[in-house]
Amino acid sequence: MPTLETTKSADSSLDPTGPVEGSDLPDFTTDAYKDAYSRINAIVIEGEQEAHDNYMSLGTLLPDQAEELARLARMEIKHMKGFTACGNNLGVVADMPFAQEFFSPLRNNFQAALTEGKVVTCLLIQALLIEAFAISAYHIYIPVADPFARRITEGVVKDEYTHLNYGQVWLKAHLEESRAELEQANRENLPHVRRMLDRVAADAAVLHMEKEDLIEDFLIAYQDALTDIGFTPREIARMAAAALIG
Amino acid sequence: MFGLIGHSTSFESARQLARSLGFEDYAEGDLAMWCSAPPQLVERISLTSPTGKRIEGAYIDSVFVPEMLSRFKTAKRKVLNAMELAQKNGIDITALGGFTSIIFEDFKLLREQQVRATTLEWQRFTTGNTHTAWVICRQVEENAPRLGVDLRRARVAVVGATGDIGSAVCRWLSQRTGVAELLLVARRPQPLTDLQADLGGGRILSLEEALEEADVVVWVASLAQASTIDPQRLHRPCLMIDGGYPKNLDTRAAGEGIHVLKGGIVEFASDIGWQMMEAAEMANPQRQMFACFAEAMLLEFEGLHTNFSWGRNNITLEKMDLIGAASLRHGFRALGLESPAPIPSLTSA
Repeated sequence: MPTLETTKSADSSLDPTGPVEGSDLPDFTTDAYKDAYSRINAIVIEGEQEAHDNYMSLGTLLPDQAEELARLARMEIKHMKGFTACGNNLGVVADMPFAQEFFSPLRNNFQAALTEGKVVTCLLIQALLIEAFAISAYHIYIPVADPFARRITEGVVKDEYTHLNYGQVWLKAHLEESRAELEQANRENLPHVRRMLDRVAADAAVLHMEKEDLIEDFLIAYQDALTDIGFTPREIARMAAAALIG
Repeated sequence: MFGLIGHSTSFESARQLARSLGFEDYAEGDLAMWCSAPPQLVERISLTSPTGKRIEGAYIDSVFVPEMLSRFKTAKRKVLNAMELAQKNGIDITALGGFTSIIFEDFKLLREQQVRATTLEWQRFTTGNTHTAWVICRQVEENAPRLGVDLRRARVAVVGATGDIGSAVCRWLSQRTGVAELLLVARRPQPLTDLQADLGGGRILSLEEALEEADVVVWVASLAQASTIDPQRLHRPCLMIDGGYPKNLDTRAAGEGIHVLKGGIVEFASDIGWQMMEAAEMANPQRQMFACFAEAMLLEFEGLHTNFSWGRNNITLEKMDLIGAASLRHGFRALGLESPAPIPSLTSA
């Protein structure tokens, strides 16, 4: 059987006997770590706060679902509190102005769609894009998180799947009348997600989270959701290309 | 349902394939983009055995290309994500093709069973190595006599003898085929000595020594060392079974009386109507495929939803008998030399 030993390059990261991903933890006490964490932590806190606000807003467009949406919104506030505790635990002050500005393109697009009563666009932004973004970031973060944050984040990930699922179920049931708007909203908003990933890459790297992993994990979550909604693999590849090419 | 996890042989061929399948945006992307691209379920397949049994399956492209081998984390992620996609699609038995099983074994991915929310169920996957080993042995047995080589008097070199496929081939050739002498070649001395003891015979040689003596060469090792092959010093005639991956022995050892056969390739009894084997550069892509892929199909035909080939050095002769009988029953045959024996200069096609 062929082995990789003879094809191994000079890249020292190609070491099959090396540590399992996750055992390679960063030093959580350095200034560099805390500095990067102040922005990443703020993004997470702001993301959960905006998710709460967005689900409450969606309830005004879908009054018969308002109760369920309020339940999801409450969960986001619980997550926000958890992540705030993660920052406190490391003695980090979250850079909230940075995070508010970071989310502004998606927030503005969500607010514009809300004003126009565009449920499909609102669901794509919050329940698909932001949730997939969050799930992928949390997945990549968990193996390299400090023990306190790890426990909290593992709990959050379980909840986030139900949120992604909420958007999926609604859009699946309304696919035919939503298709054109979904594709349009994807075109307008996915490039923002790509830019957000690019902006956060340097700080994420300090936390031992790699951009390549983040993008692929995000696309897997997004692809899974679009597959379930009823898009074909080729349609999804076309839609997802905006995130890959940027 | 059966699954096949495969990949393109190079980044350039992957881009061409993406274009032909309607993934134009991916085709335009650079390697960095491909490193971040998720695996794709690109094709649904169905085929009917001569027994009348019909099975359904899917081909998953892991979006891995060999250019990513130097990036440990990327290669690892491609394999795990493709396996997760297979499991999420409810595929019962999936073969790990090409570099997929090699990366899985060499990077010790058994330690990484949890992929996001999915706990990989190993019984849903097979390396396909048992069928590959059986097919390679069959190729030796069927083709050596056609070149006038009597296996009972022949020396058969197995290059990569201590690997999963190599050691199984050695056991079969010594116990079932009764070759005159096995020449054992591998990089590490201790496993070679262990194998020799296990076989109760065989001679340990360097690659150069073995190639000079062998009537038949079974190549199941990485080709990084193959540039040292000097065709002038090979036996004539010499049957070379290219069972490694990727298969490019024919470009390294060509000459009068040297017959290179793509090892571990099978041909199905009828056209399958799929696109994927075009990408693997098969001579008859509608019927030919890697034996490891065929193993997933055979396990599905037989209703054996289990990781039939798994880990290293677990391939027994009994398991080779079982998969070999299934292979014949369901209409597969091992790829053979063209008849009459091909002119060597034309075998590189």
